[in-house]
Amino acid sequence: MIFASLMKYVLTIKSENAPGTLYRIAGLLLRKKINIESLHVKEVDRKKHISHFTIEIFLSTHLMAKLIKQIDRVVEVTHAEYHRAQ
Amino acid sequence: MEKISGAQALMKSLLREGVDTIFGYPGGAIMPVYDALYDYKDSIRHVLVRHEQGAAHAAEGYSRLSGKPGVCMVTSGPGATNLVTGIADAMCDSIPIVCITGQVAETALGTDAFQEAPIIGIVTPVTKWCYQITNAAEIPHIVAKAFHIASSGRKGPVLIDITKNAQFELCEYDDSVHTVTLKSRHDPYYQKKLEKAASLLNGAKRPYVLFGHGISAAKAENELVQFVEKGGFPAASTLLGLSSMPKSNPLNMGMLGMHGNYGPNKLTNKADVILAIGMRFDDRVTGKISAYAPQAKIIHVDIDYAELEKVIPADIAIHADAKEFLARITPLVKHKDHGDWIGKFRAFDREEKKVVVDAELYPKSGEISMAEVIRILSEKTKGKSVIVADVGQHQMVSARYYGFENPDSFITSGGLGTMGFALPASIGAKLAGPKREVIAIIGDGSFQMTLQELGTIMQEKLSIKIIILNNRHLGMVRQWQEMFFEERYSFVHMENPNFNKIADGYSISNELVQERKDLAPALDRMLKAKGSYLLDIMVKKDENVFPMIPSGASVDEIRLK
Repeated sequence: MIFASLMKYVLTIKSENAPGTLYRIAGLLLRKKINIESLHVKEVDRKKHISHFTIEIFLSTHLMAKLIKQIDRVVEVTHAEYHRAQ
Repeated sequence: MEKISGAQALMKSLLREGVDTIFGYPGGAIMPVYDALYDYKDSIRHVLVRHEQGAAHAAEGYSRLSGKPGVCMVTSGPGATNLVTGIADAMCDSIPIVCITGQVAETALGTDAFQEAPIIGIVTPVTKWCYQITNAAEIPHIVAKAFHIASSGRKGPVLIDITKNAQFELCEYDDSVHTVTLKSRHDPYYQKKLEKAASLLNGAKRPYVLFGHGISAAKAENELVQFVEKGGFPAASTLLGLSSMPKSNPLNMGMLGMHGNYGPNKLTNKADVILAIGMRFDDRVTGKISAYAPQAKIIHVDIDYAELEKVIPADIAIHADAKEFLARITPLVKHKDHGDWIGKFRAFDREEKKVVVDAELYPKSGEISMAEVIRILSEKTKGKSVIVADVGQHQMVSARYYGFENPDSFITSGGLGTMGFALPASIGAKLAGPKREVIAIIGDGSFQMTLQELGTIMQEKLSIKIIILNNRHLGMVRQWQEMFFEERYSFVHMENPNFNKIADGYSISNELVQERKDLAPALDRMLKAKGSYLLDIMVKKDENVFPMIPSGASVDEIRLK
């Protein structure tokens, strides 16, 4: 029944391209026992060393807004947002 | 440009950040840095702790009193892993500390080299930021960045791991200013929200201000008092907010939370407008969340955007520094007489006094109570000492009965609840405030978690007063077993050593107090003593801390017995 309230979300995150950033974001997911369903990371701006993450997760709606703020708080993260997966 | 070693660059970078004290412990992978430190003995005081956990807590204590980041420095492997509890403690309580760890050479990373531990991997979830330096040239900029991150926004711990090759390597030391800019968040509706908050407060019949550690972190103590006095608002504090408003202020209603005061908890569910500032609605404060202040409009102000609406939905959520917010809202607030409302707090106070407080503070017979020790200490020091409390019943009693009059007077482990915190933290506090009277109040269980730091106190010739409230038990766990586990006392009794002989071994003056008639004179002797002094005070073994909100109950289900 608990899965009934879970929604699939896509997180899109921009960050400094620095070692450990993925680990720190994954740690925030692990803390809430959230599994990563899919993950894509790519440098999108070589000059500014900006990376772009796309992460798919299942989560209940009321937790999503809290989680994205915690991801946004990470020092290396410059922008974080989420939307419902199609 | 002159070339210097990475270790020397680290020293110069620390000096540029204004570092005057380092708590540390040398070892193989940090030896080049300790070699460089040898030439900076006149400008940096290195305090040799007896266990690395002590270095982290001492850095926390130093930071709490100085307002600057505390610095600790240890070797790789076990040196680094021993810091972890202190780092997690600083993370929970938003205390800026900068930890420097040695690491094996870059070529040996990932080979299970001697004393290699993946410390970045270990501390990432409990640091605000961490970074591994593998190249000496990175040092000046990374040190500047570390100090900036630790002490800006919501403060917190950072860790810099420096491989041994980076300590040896020569680099060009660039003395120019390293500017570090972090992202900032601008709220275009800030002024509107501020005005709406002021109008809610001005229209409130039962307004209530809750404040936490964010006040002292922002040095906003004066602004807080001006604000509540202008509006005539009753205010109550979290554990870490306690000394941010004098206890004698008639608008200070006391402490919130599980062992807080009766009125402040009960009336949380009667207020019509609550302004919560610099606090994060910890579960020890809120009790059952679904029954927390459902009737009130809530204005939540915090420096950390992620804290807003994390636990309690806010009617107005304001992302701001406490000092700046209070300075802006105070002129908008109108003075109103809330006499009837404040009278309700006074009525609950009288009930708490009658049922709980009087008997604890003034027992006429039987063993000494923890509360009477704190009462006498508070009277004798006029509430002006720095109290460093460990974790447990003695912590709650210190919080409840010491009459804090000055800011930055209560240092304790709040969020993580780290037993063993107080003795090393008191070392840091004394070094940051040598002119202040620093008194560590510690339970017999907590004392034995870090008592090796008596060696640090001896070597540094510090004057720290240590009070052990000795009930031969893990008192808080014993209380829970009595109340919620049918008196099945499972491993809470402690056979203790002779603490006086231990203090003798460290040449620290000491006394054992067993009788009520000896208590006040012993406290006098302790306070008059020039150096450190340890009082082992035998207190009642089966004392319970009340009032209490049982775990999972609502704030208005707080019990007096």
